[in-house]
Amino acid sequence: MKRFRTGSGLTAAVLLGMVFILIVLVPLLPSYDPYAQDLGGGLVPIGDSSFEGHFYWLGTDTLGRDLLSRLSLAGRVSFLIALAAVSISLVIGAALGLVAGFFGGWTESAIMGIADLQLSIPRILLLIAVTAVVGPNVILLSVLIGLTSWVSYGRIARAMVLSLKRREFVLSAITQGAGAGWNIRKHLLPNVLPQLLVVASHEFGQVIVLEASLSYLGLGVQPPLPSWGLMVAEGQSYLALAPALSVLPSIGLFLLVAGLQFLSQAYTAESDVMDDVSKATP
Amino acid sequence: MLFFILKRCLLSVLTILGVVTVTFLLMRVAGDPAALLLPPEAGAEDLARLRVALGLDLPLHVQFFSFLGHALLGDFGDSLREHLPALPLVIARVPATLELALSAFLVGITLAFVCGLVIRLVGSTMLRTVIMWFALVRQAMPVFSFGILAILIFSVWLRWLPSLGRGGIQHLILPAFTLGTYELALYLRLFNLSLSAEQRQDYVRTAYAKGQSRAVVILRHMLPNALLPLVTVAGINLGLMLGGAVVTETVFSWPGVGRLIVDAVSQRDFPVVIAGVFVVSLIFVLINLAVDILYGFLDPRVKLG
Repeated sequence: MKRFRTGSGLTAAVLLGMVFILIVLVPLLPSYDPYAQDLGGGLVPIGDSSFEGHFYWLGTDTLGRDLLSRLSLAGRVSFLIALAAVSISLVIGAALGLVAGFFGGWTESAIMGIADLQLSIPRILLLIAVTAVVGPNVILLSVLIGLTSWVSYGRIARAMVLSLKRREFVLSAITQGAGAGWNIRKHLLPNVLPQLLVVASHEFGQVIVLEASLSYLGLGVQPPLPSWGLMVAEGQSYLALAPALSVLPSIGLFLLVAGLQFLSQAYTAESDVMDDVSKATP
Repeated sequence: MLFFILKRCLLSVLTILGVVTVTFLLMRVAGDPAALLLPPEAGAEDLARLRVALGLDLPLHVQFFSFLGHALLGDFGDSLREHLPALPLVIARVPATLELALSAFLVGITLAFVCGLVIRLVGSTMLRTVIMWFALVRQAMPVFSFGILAILIFSVWLRWLPSLGRGGIQHLILPAFTLGTYELALYLRLFNLSLSAEQRQDYVRTAYAKGQSRAVVILRHMLPNALLPLVTVAGINLGLMLGGAVVTETVFSWPGVGRLIVDAVSQRDFPVVIAGVFVVSLIFVLINLAVDILYGFLDPRVKLG
């Protein structure tokens, strides 16, 4: 528990707590409705009422939709996409990394070759090309981000297996006739998983940013469904008139990404920081 | 050394081929470019004629090999919208992207260098914490969020700097800072780590024992050794700047390759997208190749890995 008394852990708790309130508790408010348009109440400022007397905590957008509700829904959309994407890449990365590390030989060369190939193109460029083709769609978006983000898990899993498979408990299982599947499931996976989850907490923030960037470019989440990135893009044309339209979703993004960043820092602060740097080049 | 260079070059060529293949497949799976070119009232006959004219009726592998053959000669076909060859359209945008990526690179590395040195010279943990927190806060903002905040403050409110387009140095400041500071936390942490690793070395103790001042030990003895990791990671990230440039260019309407690709995607202008992805990947791979080879010269241990 000592690690959570550090400044980073506390900061993470505060930031993520605010995100929790926004995306989990706000929908419980009676005024929650992200789609209802108030035609007489477009661009209401923060904490003001429309001409007809509807009160809006964070004002409204150009179509008179409640910004607080939209921010909340957008947060959930981003969060769920990232959760799905991270789960997919975790499963793929763990599977490929374990297999590559355990079998070695050409299997390893092939898998790591694909990893290198994938790293040699900027991820966002690959995703732009792919989403351009399949068309923007929330489910496909999470699958695609998941498919393109497995490399860091794969590399770590492989590196750990390389040392684990020389340890006695694995060697003894092998000499007693345990097959590859048994070894990977019962001996290697449980030892690799905690480290992969730490990587996942770091990757989660990156995936959030990736989704937001794609949505900002108009290649991710499509209207009328909100997403923080998309809301920033929609608000950009009204920057001088109503800066809140772009600034509020940016704050939402910031709270979530910074919270995750401080969380993963609180975890790694006590372990050797040097090993974190080697994977810092995505 | 020669073998190392040859191996890296071969890998780079394979990468480029992989990129082109993937992009081509994706674009062809996408849908029918012919349908997009014609007005909605065009009949099936017109459509078929255009498909033949564009070579879209041939089997996929025939299309691919003819595409690859042409691509090797730098011919990616004509833009479906502009009716001009796609590659020159992309290449015309390359200087703008390189200008942005290079200035951002310089901004990032200079800031990291100065901050890291100041932290070490002052030697205060308090100062280190404050600077690192600022860098972390910056890193938690996606490029477009930070860019929009910068536009809001410096263009809309203060009216100091222009928010759009490319021109003199004042057009460059906001985009370069937006993109350049994104990786600052990473650089700073790395630089700080390698400086602190050097600090524990025997030669540093010897230098202090000789009676040299703190500044001399840091600047003359530790700095040259600590600089290598920073230069390497920054070099690799110079390539990644190209990816970040795609978003930055859209935020600031910077007329670079990234913006061209994004526009071409929304217009389903496949030749331009393929040529754009090809050119950016090529630059990316070449930069990484150069950094790898340079690093091989600077630190001969690398080749063994």
